[in-house]
Amino acid sequence: MIMRALFKHSILTLCGVLSLCASAFAADGQLKIPEFAGLADKAAESVIITLDPSLLRLAARFLDPADPQDAAAREAIAGIKGIYVRSYKFDADFAYPKADVDLVRKQLGAPGWQRLVEVRSRKEQQNVDIYLLVEQEKANGLAIIASQPREFTIVNIVGSIDMRKLHELEGQFGIPKLEIEEKK
Amino acid sequence: MSKDFEQQLRDALQPVDPEEGFDQRVMARIAQERSRSRTKITRWASVALAASVLFVAVLGAHQWQLRREQEGLEARKQLIEALRLTGEKLDVAYQAVNRESSPPADDGSGA
Repeated sequence: MIMRALFKHSILTLCGVLSLCASAFAADGQLKIPEFAGLADKAAESVIITLDPSLLRLAARFLDPADPQDAAAREAIAGIKGIYVRSYKFDADFAYPKADVDLVRKQLGAPGWQRLVEVRSRKEQQNVDIYLLVEQEKANGLAIIASQPREFTIVNIVGSIDMRKLHELEGQFGIPKLEIEEKK
Repeated sequence: MSKDFEQQLRDALQPVDPEEGFDQRVMARIAQERSRSRTKITRWASVALAASVLFVAVLGAHQWQLRREQEGLEARKQLIEALRLTGEKLDVAYQAVNRESSPPADDGSGA
């Protein structure tokens, strides 16, 4: 009886610790992106990018400050702790597991995440969702989920995102002029 | 004459007892020589070992540097690709938002 009570207590404690860890994990803006195992073999094109803090630092060291594009990229990643991208293109419609993409979308319902843009294009069958993790009026994470019948892309940027620096990237890497209004 | 020579020869070849402590001195000398040659070998071996260690360390550092450089260039490539993809998706959203918010085109009816 005592053993059962002890076991129950330890399970409850473990659950508590795990939920604390999970909330801490969510709070830093990093999403749990599914493995998408075997999808790369099915896809016509796939891009899997995992840049953790150490790789980001390493990449920054190889950016040429004399090159305007590299200089802008270096500025943009100054407060960023990680960039995670999964992008797949297929030859057939909906060859990817929609449930896995929805699993990522579900994580964005956690406190702090705010949907910035929601695009639902029936004509092009294109959905784009842009979310920002806002903490103390600062953007600490960015998530983009874009899906079409034959492709989907998940982008997760972790860390403090300076919208002004993002603004400075306009015209580079295909980033549009965002016309972000500065607070006066 | 030949008898004198014979005598001289006999005198010269007469067995002589070694001085006291001769055998100890010989043994000590042999030990000293052995130790000296051993020290020489040890010294050369140490120098060779140090040189090998240095060579391996320099080679290792060079290899590490090369690998790090390759990793760095690959990380840079990935970063640029990630920013390009992010930009592409932001652009899709931006175009859609722009389409939504822009006023409908004037149909020229003039009212």
